[in-house]
Amino acid sequence: MDSATLLEKLSTMLKVDQINTNHDDLYDASADRYKKYAKARKVLDVPLPVAIVYPDSTDEISRLLMFCNQNNVNVIPRGGKTATEGGLENWKELTIVIDALRLDKILKIDDYNMQATVQAGVPLQQLEDSVRKLGLTTGHSPQSKPVAKLGGLVATRSIGQFSTLYGGIEDMVVGLECVFPNGHVSRIKNVSRRAGGPDIRHIAIGNEGTLCYITEVTVKLFRYFPENNQFFGYLIKDVETGIKVLREVMVNGYRPSVARTYSEEDAAQHFYHFHKNQCVLIFMAEGNVGMVKAIANGIEQAVEKFADGILEKVDSKLIQDWFNHLNWSQKDIDDEFEGMKENDSHAGFTTEISADWGTIPLIYKNVMARIRSEFPRAGDLTMLGGHSSHSYCNGTNMYFVYNYKIKCNPEDEMRIYHHPLQTIIVEETLKLGGSMCHHHGIGKYRNEWTKEEHGSAYYMLETLKNAFDPKGIMNFGTIYPQEDGKKYR
Amino acid sequence: MKIVCLIKFVPDVEEFKYDYQRHVLIRENLKQILNPDDACAVACALMIKRSNPETVIEVVTMAPVSVSGHLEDLLRLNIDQAILISDIRFSGSDTFATTRVLARYLKQTTFDVILTGTHSLDGSTAQVPSQLAEVLGLPQMSNVVALDTSSFLKGKPSFDVEHDTSIMTFSVDLPAILSVSRDSAYKLPYVAYQDLNRDVSSRIRVLSHQELDLQPQETGLEGSRTEVRRSFVKNMIKKDKVILNNDREGIEAVYCYLHEHGFVP
Repeated sequence: MDSATLLEKLSTMLKVDQINTNHDDLYDASADRYKKYAKARKVLDVPLPVAIVYPDSTDEISRLLMFCNQNNVNVIPRGGKTATEGGLENWKELTIVIDALRLDKILKIDDYNMQATVQAGVPLQQLEDSVRKLGLTTGHSPQSKPVAKLGGLVATRSIGQFSTLYGGIEDMVVGLECVFPNGHVSRIKNVSRRAGGPDIRHIAIGNEGTLCYITEVTVKLFRYFPENNQFFGYLIKDVETGIKVLREVMVNGYRPSVARTYSEEDAAQHFYHFHKNQCVLIFMAEGNVGMVKAIANGIEQAVEKFADGILEKVDSKLIQDWFNHLNWSQKDIDDEFEGMKENDSHAGFTTEISADWGTIPLIYKNVMARIRSEFPRAGDLTMLGGHSSHSYCNGTNMYFVYNYKIKCNPEDEMRIYHHPLQTIIVEETLKLGGSMCHHHGIGKYRNEWTKEEHGSAYYMLETLKNAFDPKGIMNFGTIYPQEDGKKYR
Repeated sequence: MKIVCLIKFVPDVEEFKYDYQRHVLIRENLKQILNPDDACAVACALMIKRSNPETVIEVVTMAPVSVSGHLEDLLRLNIDQAILISDIRFSGSDTFATTRVLARYLKQTTFDVILTGTHSLDGSTAQVPSQLAEVLGLPQMSNVVALDTSSFLKGKPSFDVEHDTSIMTFSVDLPAILSVSRDSAYKLPYVAYQDLNRDVSSRIRVLSHQELDLQPQETGLEGSRTEVRRSFVKNMIKKDKVILNNDREGIEAVYCYLHEHGFVP
């Protein structure tokens, strides 16, 4: 099938206004924020999708997927377009992007059973604003909250800034509806718990559009007590001290909604108003009065236990101010994009990994040492640091943060800077048994390590693909390594 | 058509760090970069070559052999050859001795034009191009901000020169020396990813005292006419950072600062 025939066939399945072939929009759809600089400079080297389509219903998606499956048309499911790892990048000539734009209805907010059901294209901010009117919260607050949509958040196994209390999206999704390439629609019902075999929600959660198209999700809701919020901040001696305090809080069973520690470099870019060139440790206690009191007490006890590494307490108002301005809006994204057209610079990149408490400091140390000694463009780095921002009973994440003077052609930037840096981070993480991606997903540029990430369990991942998408039409190149995709590296 | 680009590698002054206690510049680990005006000259030459692929570009520099890596990067940009004039005996040469060395090589070779930078970041005396013109008997012009390619290829280039608040257009008979300004729009391209490790080392020719048939008294400190009476590092005062809130008081403080310094009326 060629592009013209594909468009002709699509026009028999959808209305005219559901098919977008505008060149600028197709260019925009050909890559996500992974290649943001090359994209802004109009030098992307990947094919444009043939069309972006906007289905109105699950049935339409089912028919579209069946058609694509029968005709070997690659499908890229799309939500709020905030992907950062190439998950929305197109590697096939014959591709359509199925955008959740019109799946925009909040279907039900059930404040007694504490759950909300929405279509995939509902922006998280919209849902959050709606439930706040009832004194509730989704508890999900990724930095992309003003832009990201529920379908994409679930498909990428997203996490939010309050995860230590509320969990990641996988802890919030009660049930969902998804469509497979053969057109089959699966609905996973909404119950408080189940033991009916393996938890099949997790086939859809985090599939990154490689197995199915998520059309509807039901998430938990929580009581919201903003009046009780308490903020804590400290300047600390080093990252290791911060990790120890985080661990102490977590293993004692306390669940602050925010629990973070920053390296000196990362602290300097986030906390210009108080960092004093030191590492920073911050907490936010949230919930009902009793919870907040207990968590605050737990934080203070943990800080006291590691008092040798605590340099100074920070005014809690400064932490609160910072936190109130953390999310990036569509305007922030657009401003960065416009800036990249004129300047040889951008806002930097991140690579997020996770490991147990004992391993995280080692990975951090090894990565820093290797980048400084091995990365050929180390002299161009303007920022290299990291922070831990999501903690668990048994470990935490590390968000490596870096930026650099871009001294290369825009189309070469990722090969010369970001990917070699990410390679060091991933290699050091896998070497010590950590996970190479904590919450951004694998996308297309960490797929070279997917097998190593999963080891012998890759068999299960591969079998899922073979079972649900045997013809490989779903988001070619994402998660699963593809020989034919290497040319875009 | 052969273009010689006369270039210089200089310390990256943007990377200079200052020791506020000892009032000295910290020079350790300071990187060398291609002088920005010279980079514009090379970029201009590459632009001409894009219009006329027959053009041969030769870069010429007087520098330690440690700049070979930088020369290799230029060769990976479609520069044809590099001449590295390098000898420990050149160390300490002032602009007079440097001109003598460069002229010795340039008299041995052929060219249609010499493109170079107007100023260098480290010395900024702008003496070498005009001294070379004197020695070689060529016309020379500084502060070139634009060069017309088509007239250039016809053998009598017209070019724009920035002078205070005006831009004047000149033309010149070749051969000539044109000193390009960093205020020009010429920007050196980056080496493409696939060329980063291309071996171009065979296209660098190193010339020493011996090859140029120079006498010891002609170069280095001995061959220099400039005597440095005294040098000093300007004392710098570390200014504390002031952080203001985005409120009426903060805005007022910023406005007052800009007003006091003449940025706003």
